[in-house]
This record gives sequence, C-alpha cells and structure tokens, in this order.
Amino acid sequence: MWYLFAKVVSMTKLKILAIEDDQLFRKVMASQLAGHTVDFAENAVSARKKLETGNYDLCFIDLKLGDQDNYSGLKLIPLACSKGIYSVVMSGHDSQAFIEKAHELGCNDFYAKGNEENNIGQVLARFCRRKEKSKEENVFKEHFVTEDPATKATITEALKYAPSDLPILILGPSGTGKTSLARLIHDFSRRKGEFVAINCAAHTEELLEAELFGYKKGAFTGANETRKGKLLLANKGTLFLDEIGAMSLKMQTKLLKAIEEQTFYPVGSDAPETSSFRVISATLEDLQSLIKEGRLRFDFFQRIHGLTIRLKPLSERKDDIFPLISFFTRQGRRLSFTQEAKTELLGYNWPGSVRELKKLADLLVAGDEGRVQADTVKRLLNSLRPEEGASGFTTDEQYRFALRQGLNEAINRFIDGIIEKSLKAHNNRKYATMRDLKISSRMLYDSLRRLRVALRPLRKNKKQTPAVSINPANIAPTSGSNDTKAEEKVVV
Amino acid sequence: MTDNQPEPLEQLIHDVNSKCASLKSAVQLLRNASDDERRELLELMAQQAEALVKIIVEYKNQQ
Repeated sequence: MWYLFAKVVSMTKLKILAIEDDQLFRKVMASQLAGHTVDFAENAVSARKKLETGNYDLCFIDLKLGDQDNYSGLKLIPLACSKGIYSVVMSGHDSQAFIEKAHELGCNDFYAKGNEENNIGQVLARFCRRKEKSKEENVFKEHFVTEDPATKATITEALKYAPSDLPILILGPSGTGKTSLARLIHDFSRRKGEFVAINCAAHTEELLEAELFGYKKGAFTGANETRKGKLLLANKGTLFLDEIGAMSLKMQTKLLKAIEEQTFYPVGSDAPETSSFRVISATLEDLQSLIKEGRLRFDFFQRIHGLTIRLKPLSERKDDIFPLISFFTRQGRRLSFTQEAKTELLGYNWPGSVRELKKLADLLVAGDEGRVQADTVKRLLNSLRPEEGASGFTTDEQYRFALRQGLNEAINRFIDGIIEKSLKAHNNRKYATMRDLKISSRMLYDSLRRLRVALRPLRKNKKQTPAVSINPANIAPTSGSNDTKAEEKVVV
Repeated sequence: MTDNQPEPLEQLIHDVNSKCASLKSAVQLLRNASDDERRELLELMAQQAEALVKIIVEYKNQQ
C-alpha cells in the first residue's frame, strides 16, 4: 500500500511556515519550497501567532531569531508539536547540546544550514514518508477499524484498486462494514465527484428507478419538480449500490445499459443525461444462487464484479471487539469492562456484526455503570433487538421478501416460521405451541395448512409417535379441530 | 539553554555560521536565477557580508 500513499502525498501541495529572521535565508527558502504554500515569520511573536491560527503541515524553525535573541526558536517547538505540525529545526550552530534540546522539546527533524538544495529536499521526503506511514496506520485506526490480519490484507488489496475504474463487489453479512469500505475506496480513489449511496432493497422498483435515474416534473403522480437521480449525482464519483441482490431484473437491465453507455434517460424525459461514475456494489446474498434462481442477470453480474471483496463478520474477528468499542466511544465516555464482562463479549456470536456492537456501545455509554459488569452486557445483548424498534425487528431478507411477494405473504411466512420453530421445540405438541405463542387454534391450523403439514391425533403411546419428517402427501384436513385440551402431535 | 544568555563566542559562532550558510545557499540559487532575481540576491548577499563584518567587529570590541 506504501506506493499508493506515496503517490498521493507527493502530489499534495503542502502548507509550510518558515520561521527565519534572515532576509537572505528567507529568499533561499522561498526558492527551495516553490510549489508549496509558504508563509514566513521573522520573529517569535509573529511565529507564535501564525502557529496558533494557521493550519500548517510543516514548519521550519530557526533557533535564533535576531542578533540579540536568546534562541527563542526553541520555545516555539512545543507549540508547533501541539498543533500536530511536523517541526524542523534549522540552525547555523548544530552543536550536540542544541540537537538534543530540540529533540527533547519534540522537534521531528534537525539540520545544519548551508546546503539547502539537498537539506530541504531530504526534509520534505522524510516528512512525506512519515505522513504516508501514518496514513496507512490511520486507515485501520480511523476509517476501517480492525486488527485482524486477514481483514487488513483484504482492505489493503482493495485500496490498491481504488484509483482504477474497476467495478468492485463487496460481499459480507449485514453489519460487517460494506458501506464503510465502499466510502474508504472512494476516498482513496482521488475522484473529484461525490460518493453517492443507495440501498436497492429500500425502494420499490418504480421508486428505485426514480431515485437512480431521476425524473422530470410531472413524470408521475407526486413528481412536483424535476429531480436529479443518483447516477447523475455520482458523476465523476462513485455510485454505491447496496443490497444489489434486491434489484429487479428490469432494473438490472436498465442500469446495465446506463453503466455501459454512461448515458440514461430520467423518468419522463426524452433528453438523455450523461454521467461517468465508478460502481461499487454490495450484498449479503449469495450472488451465484441468485443467478441460478434467475433473479440476477449474468451480464449484469459480470459488469459489477471486477474485483470481489469478502468481509468477515465480527464473530470471525473477535480481536476487533475492544478496538471497535474504543473507536465508537473515542469522543465521549470511555468504557471499562470487568474480566467477566469481557468474557461475555468475546463469547457472544454477534449476529448483527459490527452494527450490533455499535448499538451495544451506545447503550453502555448511555448507562450509568462505572465499570461494565457481565450481567449488564448479558441484559443489553438480550434486549438489544426489541429495543431497536419495529425496523430493527425486521431483517433485510424479510423486507425484500415483502417487497417481492407483498406484505401479507411476508406476514404468513413469518408466522409459519415461528410456529414451526415452536412445534419443534415442543416435540410437535400443538397445545404447548398455542399456549406459548398465545395464538388461537385457527391461526395454528391455517399455518399448518400452509406448511403442508400432516396432522395426526395424539398417540397415547409416545413410542408410536413417528419421527419428525416432512411428507407433503399426507395433508390432513384441519377443520373443526377442538385441540385446546388435547395434546396432539404434529408431524412436520 | 534558553534561560541563560549564551557565551559570546558561542553566539558569534552561531551567527557567523548562519550568515555564511545563507550566503552559500544563495550562491547555489544564483546559478539559475533570472536577471532580476540575481540583482536582488546580490544586494541581499552584500548586506549579509556587511552584517558578518559587523558582528565580528562587535565581538572583537567586547573582548
């Protein structure tokens, strides 16, 4: 990754402050630093003011500022360092005592005046190397927090391709950081345009078309004004298509054409729009299965998967749990955990991955516990999902199913899933299922009919109860069952 | 180090070194300078040379 950062930094115009009382030397420096934005300060007072207010990358500090000055340049070093400025001391007197004192005060570099042609070039090179290194470290501390070597390698590999036009497909379970990675790739791409994201599962087909392609005023009911679509907004930037698997075949065809031709028609418009954008897609679904099922066009898949990146869920990189908590709480209340609480966190499976961890961290920060105990962790993890509200209770898969098949179908499927689970848990006892789920017999039998489950009267002799098996041929009529008291078993 | 006034000799060494360093670097610049820049540089270099003489004389007078 080093070469990538090197290229980025070498192209950067640096903002430099040169603190120097000697007019001739200022002239020399101005010439050597041509190409960068350079400010000069002739004395300590002016230097202090500029260091306080200016946003410099680097500053050159002469130790002695004036003939009668008592090395006031030294006193400026801590101020420059506190502002995060790379501080370079230059002196005509490079005695060991001065060098040591300057480094003690925090200077990053020290050189003896007299060969500015080489010295300044070398200082800038050292500064760039340092910046590159810290940028690389920063990626995994500030942008995509991970200590997992495999994930680091995956991100590093992905960032190599950031400046190219290659489409990227990011795979991974929900909450693993697919959007964060897409944004990071965009940030490293040096594209002038915006990062524009859209969740394909969050819109019906018509709405998705309007969102992507934009629309003309009056194109449909409610189109009160002409609106730019995401494709146009992403011009010279990146279009991030989240949940790509939820897109209909018709939309895939339209989008494929727009990606290939970089031209498209907003809804209700005869005038084509042109937009040049890079596509990054993400999904939690198995795209090969979608292709086999005929839900994903092969040519569309070919177009979006130039580079495929797989992100691991948090359950497979548990070393990231505490660095992530630290990152989430970095600007607020910091958390401390008992050993038992840590064990609880490390033992949990994190089905919601990093997103779930973030929610837990938010809840813990909002709490009033000094040191987080294991019981608190357990309680919050158990209550996390219901506390998320209605939308948190619904999975992405359920939502997509509802969009495809309608809400009634989705509700039935949800009911059937819960009932089936409860029946299995109760060894197929209907009464126990109705009691636990607080449902009527009608609801149970409607569900069973849908499940195509054969019903049998309860056999008193448990040994004769058949094993759990699916036999669609044995669908028993369910009408008029008075089953509230009878302990019946259902073969599922 | 900054709390005490440096020794006069130490100060002289620093000043002479600094001013000579400026002159040396300015000479490097002269090679590729335009006529206007060269005039400006030469003027500044002359001032620097005068300042050098001055600080040496001052030191001598202090002794």
